Amino acid sequence: MSIADDSGPEPGSDEMIAAEYVLGVLPAAERQAATRRIEAEPDFARLVDQWEARLSPMAAAYPAAEPPASVKAAIDGRLFAGNRVQARGVSWWSSLALWRGLAIASLAALALYIAVPYLSPQAEVSAERYVASLAPTGSDVHYFVVYDARSQDVGLSHVTGARPEGRDFELWVIERSNPPQSLGVIPVGQSVHLDVADAVRNKIEAGAQLAISLEPAGGSPTGQPTGPVVAAGDLNSI
Amino acid sequence: MTPQDITKLIVRTSMGDRAAFDLLYRQTSAKLFGVCLRVLNDRAEAEEALQEVFVKIWTKADRFAVSELSPISWLVAIARNHSIDRIRSRRPPAVDVDAALDIADPTAGPEAMAVASGESERVHRCLEELEPDRAAAVRGAYMSGESYVELAARHGVPLNTMRTWLRRSLMKLRECLER
Repeated sequence: MSIADDSGPEPGSDEMIAAEYVLGVLPAAERQAATRRIEAEPDFARLVDQWEARLSPMAAAYPAAEPPASVKAAIDGRLFAGNRVQARGVSWWSSLALWRGLAIASLAALALYIAVPYLSPQAEVSAERYVASLAPTGSDVHYFVVYDARSQDVGLSHVTGARPEGRDFELWVIERSNPPQSLGVIPVGQSVHLDVADAVRNKIEAGAQLAISLEPAGGSPTGQPTGPVVAAGDLNSI
Repeated sequence: MTPQDITKLIVRTSMGDRAAFDLLYRQTSAKLFGVCLRVLNDRAEAEEALQEVFVKIWTKADRFAVSELSPISWLVAIARNHSIDRIRSRRPPAVDVDAALDIADPTAGPEAMAVASGESERVHRCLEELEPDRAAAVRGAYMSGESYVELAARHGVPLNTMRTWLRRSLMKLRECLER
């Protein structure tokens, strides 16, 4: 060992922590901290993924070993023993006939984040949820929307289509021939949320259409859409 | 099963498709059990871990869509990280030197071949550029989930030296892989 060996490369950097996490050498407390960051910080999660990809060829050396049949039985018992747990898997997904037309890969992207709360065992299927696939209208902008009436929360999953530099996407609810009402500027991100004001809530639950328009940064200055509608779709209760 | 087939099974699993989940289990459980066994070095605990791993796969299958990993690497990462979390929470840490020294097994199953693409040769070539004891430490850490403390004890070096070894080795590896 030389003296130079005493100084490591940026020991506390995210890059280093991600690498050490993947290698598996971190003590319990630091591993737990890293696990929490993977959940909360997409940039850190990406670093971890990159290290998993770099080191994964070494995993070829793990010899396969057949587990006893009791393991699968125990897994099924944990996951599917209660009727309620089984029911949510079937009714939630099978009711979404519109999904079937979508390519399987984009389905996975759509399901991302949005599905997580519904897949957790404590979540129950509710009629107070609405979904909409906001398909491109002369653009490549595609969002998937889930509205939860109980929490008055609109969850948006970004499928495709980047917003132009210095512009924003604004989400509108349109009920029959009434003027569109803004739900707000859609935050940048893969999976984002908007709160719904009480006034708009009834419109959504009456079975409205959602549309996304291209607006100046910060949203429409007039309170009505000023730019082109880039994506639109109907809300369906599920 | 090709990686594409496994991808489809994971996506269908994310949609609550139990038949796909069953098939995914049949196709990948031996590989993932091998990972749990190797890291945990205890059959009963590995069986318990494998249950938890597949419960995670069922509930988190949708996350695969945003991962940059190949499907089998994604599954192995879940099994590996879960098993390492388990040994880290053990008190006191078990050190099985023999198991840790016995590294590569050339008789990897067909699922393993999905991991071992052209990338595999590259990472092994890059490991060979490291000093032999450091490459062994990297392999031991990855394969067996050994902690810095265990690695330092096994290689007979101070903890800080082991940290430095591995951090430098990781950066050299990255540099070599990106060359």
